Order: sequence, then structure tokens, then C-alpha cells
Amino acid sequence: MNKQIVQIKAMSKAFPTGEGEFLALKDINLSFESGEFSGIVGPSGSGKTTLLNIIGSLDVQSGGEVCVLGHQVKELSARESAALRSQKIGFIFQTYNLLPVYTVFENVEFPLLLLKMTKAEREQAVLKALDWLGLSDKQKSRPAQLSGGQCQRVAIARAMVKNPALVLADEPTANLDTENSLHILDSMQKLNRELGTTFIFSTHDQKVINYLRRVIRLVDGRVESDDLQAGV
Amino acid sequence: MIFKLAFKNILGYGWRSLINVFIIALVLIGLIWMEGMWFSWLNLAKTQSTQWEFGGGLLRVKSYDPYDVFALEHSHAPIPAQAGNLVASGEIVPVLFSPAVIYPGGRMQNAVVKGIPSQQSLLRFPSQALMPTEANPYPAIVGKTMAKSAQLQEGDAFTIRVKDSSGAFNAVDLQISQIMDCPVPSLDQGTVWMDLQALQDLKQLPGMATTLALRDQSLASVASPEFKLIPPNEFFADLNQMVKTKASGQASLFVMMIFLAMLAIFDTQALAIFKRRREIGMLSALGMTKARIILLFTTEGALYMLGATVLTAVMGFPLFWYFARIGFSLPKGYDSFGVAGFNEALKFVYPLPLILFTLMLMFLLTVFVSWLPARKIARLMPTEALRGK
Repeated sequence: MNKQIVQIKAMSKAFPTGEGEFLALKDINLSFESGEFSGIVGPSGSGKTTLLNIIGSLDVQSGGEVCVLGHQVKELSARESAALRSQKIGFIFQTYNLLPVYTVFENVEFPLLLLKMTKAEREQAVLKALDWLGLSDKQKSRPAQLSGGQCQRVAIARAMVKNPALVLADEPTANLDTENSLHILDSMQKLNRELGTTFIFSTHDQKVINYLRRVIRLVDGRVESDDLQAGV
Repeated sequence: MIFKLAFKNILGYGWRSLINVFIIALVLIGLIWMEGMWFSWLNLAKTQSTQWEFGGGLLRVKSYDPYDVFALEHSHAPIPAQAGNLVASGEIVPVLFSPAVIYPGGRMQNAVVKGIPSQQSLLRFPSQALMPTEANPYPAIVGKTMAKSAQLQEGDAFTIRVKDSSGAFNAVDLQISQIMDCPVPSLDQGTVWMDLQALQDLKQLPGMATTLALRDQSLASVASPEFKLIPPNEFFADLNQMVKTKASGQASLFVMMIFLAMLAIFDTQALAIFKRRREIGMLSALGMTKARIILLFTTEGALYMLGATVLTAVMGFPLFWYFARIGFSLPKGYDSFGVAGFNEALKFVYPLPLILFTLMLMFLLTVFVSWLPARKIARLMPTEALRGK
């Protein structure tokens, strides 16, 4: 049996509003095992991104427990949660969020700089990641010179380069056409199979959903269903 | 790592960085130029006052009060006996002051008449023109400002009247032998110069003087109890005060220029930092700590200043060199604005402590305007920063 890397118990998240507070997530109980290729799906405003942010320690829950890779998210200091993200979690965003003044190589290299790896180690890891994503010929290009699909592949390479235990992908195909979306999903599925990296998606894109082995449906901040997809 | 990233960011932002650096460099050049001018002006004014009036030291009768016209009548004392040889050899230059009334062109005008030995060469004053000749037995010198106010020209004669030691009024006709271009206003405005001996005779004050200019301060030992040694800081008090007053105006300009530079940096740095919120959110998501994010943006600010310093050296050097070697001449008539003028080109000196102070001040301000917004944004939750809100 695979090791549990995320455990969520009776978790809730409230945001303050002018009149009081808005409960974005209610009584969430979930767990993820290493090597999963799972997705949190649901309509806009259902709380998918909020849940993903809490798992990624970019945000903290209002109630309940969230344990990620052995760390209670709420108990982490800002420095500790930065260290957790830096060492063990990779992020992929809908808008790529590449650093515009850096080349593809430098963008992918950035997480490794934070890990204080040597130059040779960094170079080896970056070239390997770019090779995996088919971007070897683009390493000197800047994000503005790339297509949307290529930018997202750079973002995946950046998330994968440090061999994270967990990759969180927030609507990774939302800005891509079908062909690029499928290409990206193939790449991530390959990484999941060959490296055993855990992927958790947040999406409402059917193309992504078709790739997921486990689909967690969120409606109005509650888990409506949690199903394994046969044949994926 | 931070330094390298900041450097890469600055290079990456290309023109925006260059404009930022250029504006800071322009302000630095302006500030250093201004400081050079004020420092050199004060220096030149002091040098000229020393050369024309102060010499290597100055003894003045204790009863003299430059702000009391009535005290002037009695502001004299016998030249000390032990100074006799030194006066004869030109090591000490006695000057006698007296209130007077002059009648140029039939008009009456109050003035101060000062007698100086025509043979002296210690002071830069053109006293040789006071040497009596057959054609002009009572030569006089006035400065350009005095000549203008009294409507006098070279060769003009006018009557001067003074009160002698017995209280009687004596008068003599003086003839202008030279109109001097004097950079020290106190030696020009309202002042008529004549030979010391002639004035002592006219005042019936033989062997009397108001001041004794010394070749060097060691000669002050000849002073009698009626004279006191004027220290340079007392002598230059008025000049320093005037510079201080002018400096307050300069300070406003200084602050304004720094404010403009800060506005430029704030525009490019602070606004850019706000625009780069998403980037800051991403850095945070990638695991960069808040302290490092703040340090990154603050280092960018410091690098702008470093670049500006280099650009200042490159762009400013020809200008600074020109003003140091060729100098800067004030337009004619500048004296009439009440500023201690100078009749030669002002060659700039750039005092190192002032330049270092300016650089340090600009550096701290640049770092501050970079640190402030970065700190504010780094405090946001990464999710808020990522949304770019």
C-alpha cells in the first residue's frame, strides 16, 4: 500500500466578507497517497483552488487538520512553509507564472537555486527536465518568445526539476487549445508513471478529467463524490 | 544568489532600468555640481577676503564696531611702537578708517574713507595708485560699485570732508586715480580709499590706525592693549552667515532634486514592484522566504544606485573637469544682487566628504523606496499576491 502524503480531516476554510464570512470549504475529509494522479473537479467557485492552495501551504485552513508530507500546515511558520514548498512541492498554474526576464533554462533552474545545489547539479537536473518536456531546443528562449503550450511545459519542467513529492496543478490547461492540452497531460501522465510523482489537479476541463485516475467532486465547498475512474 | 538574481532582473528590464539609472545619475551630477559651486564660491570668497583685507592675520582696535557708524569716528589707536620697523618693511599694513562726507558732482554723500600705505604690497589692494603725483597730489581709489553709486569715473575730482581729532572739519579735493575691480564688497561699497599718510594728516591723527594686517599671525605679539587679534572665524562670520542664508535656498533645491530622483525611482521601483505582485507570489510559491524576496527587491534598488554612480562618473566627468579647470564666471552686475562677488572665474573644487555624503544619502533613499513596497507586498499571503490583487 502506498504511503499517505496528504491527510485532511474536518477541514473548513472561511474568508471574511463585509457582512461576516464566506465559508468556501466545509467539512473536507480527504487523503492522498503517493503516486496518485487525482483531480479536484467542480464548477467555478466550488473551492477547488482554495483546497489546492491549502494543500500547497500557500494558505491555511480555518478549522480542522491538514497534514502534508508529515507537516501540519497550520502549525508551520512562514519560513517553514516556504521550506516545505521549496523542497517537496511543485506548482503549476493556469497562467504559467514564468519569470519574464529569465530564459527557459533560468526559469527551470530557479527552484534549484533555492535548494542551494551546485552549478553542475543544477545544470544536469535542468537539462534532464527540459529533455523530458521536449524543450531542449528552447532553453535560451524567453517566455515571451514561446507559445502558451510551450510556456506551460516550462512551468511543468520548473515544478518537476527538483523531483518533488507532490505536484499541484491549478487549471493547467485552461489557457491551452486541445492539442496543447493533450500534449501537456501526456507529459504529466508520463512523469507520474515513470517517476512516481503525485499529481493533484484542480480543474473543470473534461479533457483533464478523462486522464485522472481519481476524481473528487466539489460542490459549494463540500466533497460531493470521490471516485476512482476505471480504465484510466 | 540574491545579488545575481537582482542583477539579472535589472538587465532583463532593459530600457526601464536604464532610464531609472539615467535619472538618478542626472540628479547626482546636479547635486555634485551644485555642491562644487557652493564650496568653491565660499573658498574663493574667503581667499579673496584674505588676500585683499585679512592678510596672514588681523589686529583691530577694540573700540571698532562694524555695525556702529558712530563708533567709527573714534575707532583708532596709535600704531604700536614695536611695530614701527615691521610697518616700514611692509610686514604689517596699517589702515585707518574714518566717516566722511563726499561731494561728487556737487552732490553730498556719506562715505567711509580708508587710508592705506601706498607702498604696501602685502595686500592685493592696488595701493600703488594712491602714490601722490604732481598732477594728482591727493589720489583716491573707489570700487566699481561705489563709482557707480557716486557716478564717478577715473580722473574725476570731488571734495571729501572729515572731522579731525580736535573736532574741526577739514576738507580736501581728491581725484580718482583708479576704479578698482574689487571682489570684496566691504572694501568697495560706500568706501573711498586714499593714502594713509594723507588721511592721518587730514584727520590730525599721526601714527594712528584702525586695523593692522599682518603677514602672519606670529606678528600679533606686537599688538598694544588697544588692539585685539581677530580670529578667522570672527572675521569670516558675516561671509559664513551669508553663505548659510544662501545655503538654505540651496537646500530647498537639493531636497527638490532628491525628491524628483526618488519619484523616478518610486515610479520604476515601487510601481514596478506592485506590478510584479504575481511574480512575488510565484517566488513565494517556489519557496522563497519573505526576507529573501524583500532583500531581492532592495538589492535591485541598491544596484540602480550603483549603476547611477558609475554613469555619474562617466557622464559627469567632462562637466566636472570643465568647471574645475576652466571655471565658471558670474555675469557682470551679479554683485548688485547682494552676493559677495568675485571678479575671476570660479574654479570648482569637489570636496570628497560632501560627495560621499550625497552618494550615501541617495543610496539610503534608493534602498528605502525599494524596500518599503517590497516589504508591503511580501507580507501578503502568497495566494493574494498570485492573484495580482
